[in-house]
Amino acid sequence: MAALLRPARWLLRAGAVPGLPLPLRLLAGGPGRPRVALCLPAACPGPAAGGLLSQARLYAIAAEKKNYLQEEPTSSHRRNASQFDWALMRLDNSVRRTGRIPKTLLQKVFDNTCHSGSPGGNQALLLLRSCGSLLPELKLSERTEFAHRIWDKLQKLGTVYDVSHYNALLKVYLQNEYKFSPTDFLAKMEEANIQPNRVTYQRLIAAYCNVGDIEGASKILGFMKTKDLPVTEAVFSALVTGHARAGDMENAENILTVMKEAGIEPGPDTYLALLNAYAEKGDIDHVKQTLEKVEKSDLYLMDRDLFQIIFSFSKAGYPQYVSEILEKITYERRYIPDAMNLILLLVTEKLEDTALQILLACPISREDGLNDFGSFFLRHCVTMDTPVEKLKHYCKKLKDAQMHTSALQFTLQCALLANKPDLAKALMNALKEEGFPVRTHYFWPLLVGYQKEKNVQGVIEILKGMHEMGVNPDQETYVNYVFPCFDSVKSVRAVLQENGCLPESNVFSQAELKSEAVNGNLDYILSFLESNTLPFSFTSLRGSLILGFRRSMNINLWSKITELLYKDGRYCQEPLGPTEAVGYFLYNLIDSMSDSEVQAKEEHLRQYFHQLKEMNVKIPENIYRGIRNLLDNYHVPELIKDVNILVEREKIDSRKTMQLTISDLESTLEKLKAENQPVGDVLKQLILMLCSEENMQKALELKAKYESDMAVGGYAALINLCCRHDNAEDALNLKQEFDRLDSSAVLDTNKYVGLVKVLGKHGKLQDAINILKEMKEKDVLIKDATVLSFFHILNGAALRGETETVQQLHEAIVTLGLAKPSTTISSPLVTLYLEKDDLPTALEVAIDCHKKYKILPRIHDVLCKLIEKGETDLIQKAMDFVSQEQGEMTMLYDLFFAFLQTGNYKEAKKIIETPGIRARPTRLQWFCDRCISSNQVETLEKLVELTQKLFECDRDQLYYNLLKIYKINGDWQRADAVWNKMQEENIIPRGKTLRLLAEILRNSNQEVPFDVPELWDEDEKHSLDSSPLPEESNLQKDLLNACQWKKNKDAYNIFLKAQNRNVVFNGETYNSLIKLLLTKDNFTQAMQVKDFAETHIKGFTLNDAASSLLIITQVRRDYLKEALTTLKTALDLEQIPSRIAVTRLIQACALKGDLESIQAIQKMVNGLEDSIGLSNMVFINNIALAQIKNNNIDVAIENIENMLTSGNQTMEPQYFGLAYLFRKVIEEQLEPAVEKISIMAERLANQFAVYKPVTDLFLQLVDSGKVDDARALLQRCGAIAEQTPIFLVFCIRSSRRRGKVLCFTC
Amino acid sequence: MAASAVRGAVALRTSVGRPVAFVRKIPWTAASSELREHFAQFGHVRKCIVPFDKDTGFHRGMGWIQFSSEEELQNALQQENHVIDGVKCLILFFS
Repeated sequence: MAALLRPARWLLRAGAVPGLPLPLRLLAGGPGRPRVALCLPAACPGPAAGGLLSQARLYAIAAEKKNYLQEEPTSSHRRNASQFDWALMRLDNSVRRTGRIPKTLLQKVFDNTCHSGSPGGNQALLLLRSCGSLLPELKLSERTEFAHRIWDKLQKLGTVYDVSHYNALLKVYLQNEYKFSPTDFLAKMEEANIQPNRVTYQRLIAAYCNVGDIEGASKILGFMKTKDLPVTEAVFSALVTGHARAGDMENAENILTVMKEAGIEPGPDTYLALLNAYAEKGDIDHVKQTLEKVEKSDLYLMDRDLFQIIFSFSKAGYPQYVSEILEKITYERRYIPDAMNLILLLVTEKLEDTALQILLACPISREDGLNDFGSFFLRHCVTMDTPVEKLKHYCKKLKDAQMHTSALQFTLQCALLANKPDLAKALMNALKEEGFPVRTHYFWPLLVGYQKEKNVQGVIEILKGMHEMGVNPDQETYVNYVFPCFDSVKSVRAVLQENGCLPESNVFSQAELKSEAVNGNLDYILSFLESNTLPFSFTSLRGSLILGFRRSMNINLWSKITELLYKDGRYCQEPLGPTEAVGYFLYNLIDSMSDSEVQAKEEHLRQYFHQLKEMNVKIPENIYRGIRNLLDNYHVPELIKDVNILVEREKIDSRKTMQLTISDLESTLEKLKAENQPVGDVLKQLILMLCSEENMQKALELKAKYESDMAVGGYAALINLCCRHDNAEDALNLKQEFDRLDSSAVLDTNKYVGLVKVLGKHGKLQDAINILKEMKEKDVLIKDATVLSFFHILNGAALRGETETVQQLHEAIVTLGLAKPSTTISSPLVTLYLEKDDLPTALEVAIDCHKKYKILPRIHDVLCKLIEKGETDLIQKAMDFVSQEQGEMTMLYDLFFAFLQTGNYKEAKKIIETPGIRARPTRLQWFCDRCISSNQVETLEKLVELTQKLFECDRDQLYYNLLKIYKINGDWQRADAVWNKMQEENIIPRGKTLRLLAEILRNSNQEVPFDVPELWDEDEKHSLDSSPLPEESNLQKDLLNACQWKKNKDAYNIFLKAQNRNVVFNGETYNSLIKLLLTKDNFTQAMQVKDFAETHIKGFTLNDAASSLLIITQVRRDYLKEALTTLKTALDLEQIPSRIAVTRLIQACALKGDLESIQAIQKMVNGLEDSIGLSNMVFINNIALAQIKNNNIDVAIENIENMLTSGNQTMEPQYFGLAYLFRKVIEEQLEPAVEKISIMAERLANQFAVYKPVTDLFLQLVDSGKVDDARALLQRCGAIAEQTPIFLVFCIRSSRRRGKVLCFTC
Repeated sequence: MAASAVRGAVALRTSVGRPVAFVRKIPWTAASSELREHFAQFGHVRKCIVPFDKDTGFHRGMGWIQFSSEEELQNALQQENHVIDGVKCLILFFS
């Protein structure tokens, strides 16, 4: 890495040349600098396994590059390329981490490759190469099978194999000791017209040697010689193995001499071949001798080589010698994956004991006591069916060696995952013996296994096993894992009884109940509850009941069940009593439903409440309030009154909250004072009111007057008021009085922050610090927003140049731990001096921050200023510090950005061309974002230009940023130039880049010269994820919080703040804010937010809920046209507006006589009526009303009559409710209409036997107090009296309004 | 599994603003009762949900705890290590 720094140093050293301006001096060192050959550690191949893949990578990259040059970059190719990257990344990662590839991973990559269409040659190579020793968990034969499967499948898919593929296959054969005929192999290659190369011959020789066929090997060797191919060490090593396996150790040893004669020094590979040969014979003495010989020579055997010797000994049946080799192992950390690999291989070969021996020898840090290093071993033992006794022994060993904290539990988990019930049972027994709990859910995976095969006997066995182990199945066990195995719940009971595993407790009955409830079988539940004799508590039933209620819409059963629970002593024994129990039940029922569910079931719920009322069921008022809040949140306030009728009236709180004016309160206050009565409440109310009107003067006067009656709350409000008015003096006094009143009282966070701010601003530092201390002592909640406020306090002071304030407050905040030291919170320390142009101190402070807190605030700005001023020495100092503390690469980037920022592009170029520097995506993106937010087009252009050759640089991402800034400036010409440059550079743009480019061109009415790719979710997410600025996300979080707590003022203020700072949130946030503002009826503000969102977020739209609220608000304000537009927009976006919104809009239109709009709405929602929950009657009523309003009474009546009398009725007459129309007509006193409607209703009753309209009319007349008219109607049409069902509904509905008495005289 | 996690989340959906902690990396040996037991030391646990995947019989290592008050939640959040069945779980504020 030192090489990295050299050029940079060069640059600066050159700066010592006196008399030259800095940029020129920097240049002076440039051209002559030596180019240092580059080898970064990360680029070097790791362990052999990794090395194998690294080769694959190099090959792959080369191949890809070639493709880019040859072909047009088509989209399918790009998909292949990314598919390849993905596969490579997955496999490479796995090898790096664990030294192996799990079979499932390879299978997954293989399947994915197949699905991708036609896999490229590089992908095939990658897959084939993975089928050898990288799969230690697979038996040798299985590995080769896998390789063949891949080979055949890919060939079928059209992959063209070259010699590299054949060689890869050979390597796999060798690693897997696969027996095959080399001549057949060669014939196969010839058939495919592939020329074998040197590597092919070498590997074929090795193949012959592996089976001890020296003759075969010699034939190939002769062939190589005729072709003048060089004979390498690999060939000699193979021959060593060959002779040894042929039983000729003497000749095996002789090969080394032959090699030397041929001028090739035996290397580690040759010695390893020899060592393995001895090991296979169990010849420990020769192994030791050879090892000593190697040690004495310059050669060096790695741990990995020694592992091979261990494997040879073990496999040949000489495990006794393993420990002697183990002693020689150095256990370098990088060989741990190799050790794991060996351990797994040994387990696969059923040599578990040796595997454990090696595992226990691994030097794993055991300090934290939470180490589970042995897991991979245990898991593989379970897979390989290691006997349970051995496993238990291993678990104990691992635990004793502190290699696993919960070995038995882990092994059990593996057994469960592998679905091995017998092993699992044995392990559970072992757990029990060791004193660990065996829990019910341990059996669930086993039950799932049998459940999938519908194996009833298996399930019974498990239940019996549970019983034996003393574990009782719980409700969940039955419902989720036992019942699904059977056809019906009933049959379970029978079968369990037969097998004697029906529990005596009522758990099973509860499970049955729950299971029926899930199916919405309320009949069963009712009959069960009626006939049940077991004691059940309401609470235990609650969950099941709620499920059942939500799945069945039979309101009668709802009510009956509730009544039973309310009145039957069996279910309400708990101390709560029926009122509370049922109250909570109702609360939970509604709580468990979603808002849309409650909205959809509004009518059902209403009926339910009314039926409960009829049954005299009551709930306590406090629970009612909870339900009320829920309904409010769900936007169904219409239901509140229906719940209210259930409230137990006896204990109703008579205190009313009245809206009083300030003067009212003042006079009340005086009066109370005069009467010597307590004034606390009124005083507080008055102070709060004055505070909300920002009347500080009067509030303070009031406080002075009633000092002795002041309470904590009043003080808190006053303190905050004074802070807002920048009145430090009074704020401090009030705070002191507040403390005297109650020293333990705590203000809320914002008030403390306000105090700190105002005190700091007025130089009352000690007081401010005391407040901070108090915050700490009283453990005030510090939110992200609080930390941000601290920053603004400090930054404000820094900009005002108040050194003391910044330093002391910062010190206090950080040492008290109110905020963690971060670049943000500490940046004002540096800002202080940057503002004063005191660069040496600014740098000093930044460095000091790093020493104290390991952060380097505003270093970029400091460097920029230093460069501007040409402070070479200080730059040197800064760079030395950064490179020492954060690495040379960081320093180079800092310098690069600073040069770019200050326009010293040539110097920037030198820096970024430093050999060994590589792309740091996050830093590059940071600078891009900075350029974009401050609209520095040229700087960004230069950045993109200068990083062209940067290693591993994501060019597409950089161009994407460039396009972003062009978009802001509407500069389509430059955007178009980017398109050309990208082609020149052979960059394949991502979808999002192309889309952005297309957008810019379209916005300027230019033609788009390419196919715009479809929007992919992934891309979209990616672009959203592109690291939002911390401030942005903080503000957004605050805003959402404020929305949650329904603090509309706070939320709106945050919005304004963000707007001032040009911070744009995501669409959802704006939607929440708009919704909140609309519910609070802040229409203008809501519209402001909407406008802002629409102009700043492309494609911003209101969501369903917000649109609906907007419609309601617009209707309320009589903006009907706008409401209609909102509805249309929502529907165009395929949103479903709420029923209330649509209904209110229609009703408003009708009252205006705006028939056209109603018909327009009818057309718009056509087909959506069910999803909105809109009855056709809404239209019929309101169209008629509109017509009547337009004096087209006859048309309206004719239409209705037609609908009710024509053959094709759209609506059953009993549901043809015209009550709304009648009521409105009566209310609006449209006498001629009332008369004609009355005639129509009577005619329908008398001639067509349709009684619903006349009954509705009768009831509406009664309801609006026109009793005489009603009586006359009843006399004319006696059948009204027989319409009991209609009356019933009406009575229920009107009884909730007020105690109305209906008298029928019939 | 995703579905059951969603269901868990939905069950506590209305808990926006309620004192709920989100726990990750729960060991497979612990279910909701173990979680409840552990968190009871910080206050009254109103709801505790560890959704199981009915297709495997295992949970996916996450759960939700609803306390009675914000203060109790803070108690729980302030403790650095939550070790359940010998495994360190991660606990996050959930909102």
